[in-house]
Amino acid sequence: MIEGLQLALSFEYLIWLTIGVLLGLVVGTLPGLTATMGTALLVPFTFGLETGPGIAMLGGLYVCAMFSDAIPAVLVNTPGTPGAMATAFDGHPMTLQGRGQEAIVASCFSSALGTIFGAGVYLLLAFPMIAIALKFGPSQFFWLGVFALTIIGSLASDSMLKGLAGGAIGLLISAVGISHANEVARFTFGVPELRGGVSLVAGLIGIFAIPQVLSMVAELRKKEYIADYKPKRGITLITVGRVLMHPVHVVRSAVIGSFIGILPGAGSPIAALVSYNEAVRWSKDKSKYGKGDLRGVTASEIANNAAAPSAMVPLVTLGVPGSSPAAVIGGALMLRGLTPGPELFQTDQSLVFSFGWSLLLAGIVTFILGSLFAPLLVRIIRIPLRLLAPLILFLAVIGSYAIRNNIFDVYIMLGLGVFVFLIRRLGFHPGPIGLGLILGPIIEPALVQSLYISDATSIFKTFFTGGLNLTLIALIIISIILVIWTQRKDKAKEKSVEAARDPASAPSPGE
Amino acid sequence: MAVGGIATYASGDDVKNWMFPLLAAYVMLSIGAMLIARFLYVEIIKSAPDLLRMSESDRVAAKDVTVFAAIILVYIVVMTGIGFWISSFLMLCLTSVYLTLDKSRRNIMLALVVPIGACIAAYIIFLQVFYVPFPKAAWIPGLD
Repeated sequence: MIEGLQLALSFEYLIWLTIGVLLGLVVGTLPGLTATMGTALLVPFTFGLETGPGIAMLGGLYVCAMFSDAIPAVLVNTPGTPGAMATAFDGHPMTLQGRGQEAIVASCFSSALGTIFGAGVYLLLAFPMIAIALKFGPSQFFWLGVFALTIIGSLASDSMLKGLAGGAIGLLISAVGISHANEVARFTFGVPELRGGVSLVAGLIGIFAIPQVLSMVAELRKKEYIADYKPKRGITLITVGRVLMHPVHVVRSAVIGSFIGILPGAGSPIAALVSYNEAVRWSKDKSKYGKGDLRGVTASEIANNAAAPSAMVPLVTLGVPGSSPAAVIGGALMLRGLTPGPELFQTDQSLVFSFGWSLLLAGIVTFILGSLFAPLLVRIIRIPLRLLAPLILFLAVIGSYAIRNNIFDVYIMLGLGVFVFLIRRLGFHPGPIGLGLILGPIIEPALVQSLYISDATSIFKTFFTGGLNLTLIALIIISIILVIWTQRKDKAKEKSVEAARDPASAPSPGE
Repeated sequence: MAVGGIATYASGDDVKNWMFPLLAAYVMLSIGAMLIARFLYVEIIKSAPDLLRMSESDRVAAKDVTVFAAIILVYIVVMTGIGFWISSFLMLCLTSVYLTLDKSRRNIMLALVVPIGACIAAYIIFLQVFYVPFPKAAWIPGLD
């Protein structure tokens, strides 16, 4: 392990790692360009390098892209990747309050913390963690997905019904295309392009970016910019202090992110969503979430980034990548004749550990570069709306097209965007729709696989037995009860405040 | 409710293929019914006069959104005909100029210069670095 650290600290490793981080900053910031795309495109450029610095550069790009996707989410409410959706819930309201730079620095520092924690898990706990992760089968994934869905309760504070309806719309959109069970075409209405389903990234760009653009156009005559911004001296240190003021929150988010990151197929989006949900649940003042609470940003970003190095754990211990960028990095190793898995641990330990240290250092480099660029990045909100709205639309079109090079994805993105813009006027929150869209492809295959397993046993045995299943079910029930209880408590509080304001309407003591 | 209705209508009856979307569709249908009932009660009965009113600023905002949406519609229709880059440049110029309320020479120049810069930057990043094959001009052969 020490040899790995020495290698990771060498000039060659650090310079390529920094280049990877800088590229990750660009890839994540542009909506539609994902960490997977970035790492895949970078692989050929690593062939001219030694294996260690080459994969360190890929790791640097991966880690930084998981941070920089928060930049468009925070500034213009457009998540760069699905993993940043939860960051937008509180990050964008912070920007609207003139706290954009604080939100970016918080994202950056949280990402660094998450990465360091995730890399620590990779370096120290890879084998014990993978033993727990291997106990996760389809039914556990199903319950984990349902558990993540309970976040709707936190998002739909105004109307639970509208929140649930939004979630169901998202799940339905995710069901478009060929089914997971018997390859039946669903909701394709005879359109061949729909057989491949709705692109997740294009869908999310449509749900978040287009309504935002149309809202900008609608508000053009009322305000010139998204929000006010005044550069503040020393904001980096102040924000770092604010993030560290909640150590339990930080550790909880990092643990959630690291564990979910290890589960192959779950990935950063579900880690960020579950972490956000838990942050809301454990908070004493839940009403601040969704309205610009710093903890909302940190919960999402810590988990999102902790999941990135953790996704490498199944790759190096079992040869099974935990995420798409991990699969690309695994592919890059295989192209060099190295087989990721337990053998690599025995034959080339210095490579495995130097990669772990490089990921950890990538977190630190990301924080340094991110906080340096934050004052520059936040100036995006000083672009007049009349120029910014067309530019976001242009990037949204490119982003949704570039994912699959399919013009139909652009049509879907714009159609969804107009639909969400209209229903937002009726009081629907785009968050639950995006949530359904992200969780559908995780929940449904798990449900179908579990049903197939239950053919051999029984539905009860498959879904309702086993320690992990029962724990997750208990968490879901507690989550739902807490949401209902909190809503009732808030309503009672509102009524008592109203009664205090207007004594005439308050019931008399005799009543 | 409409989404739920369409989804239910378009669904099949095989359990494993359709159980998941049908569950979501039924949730939509029942919530739709509840929302309509609540809407009828709260919005129409109690605040019908307010619904019919639209302020002058709302009307202007609606007009801006409609014109902007119309330009986007034309943009995506002609994109495959005249090519991605020309259509994008025209869309950026048209929308920027339309949304510029104070049509001074400086603002108009800015509304034309920014699209040029955006297209050049996007061309370099997405075409030269990431090799994204954008739609070519089907109506004008030989033009990229």
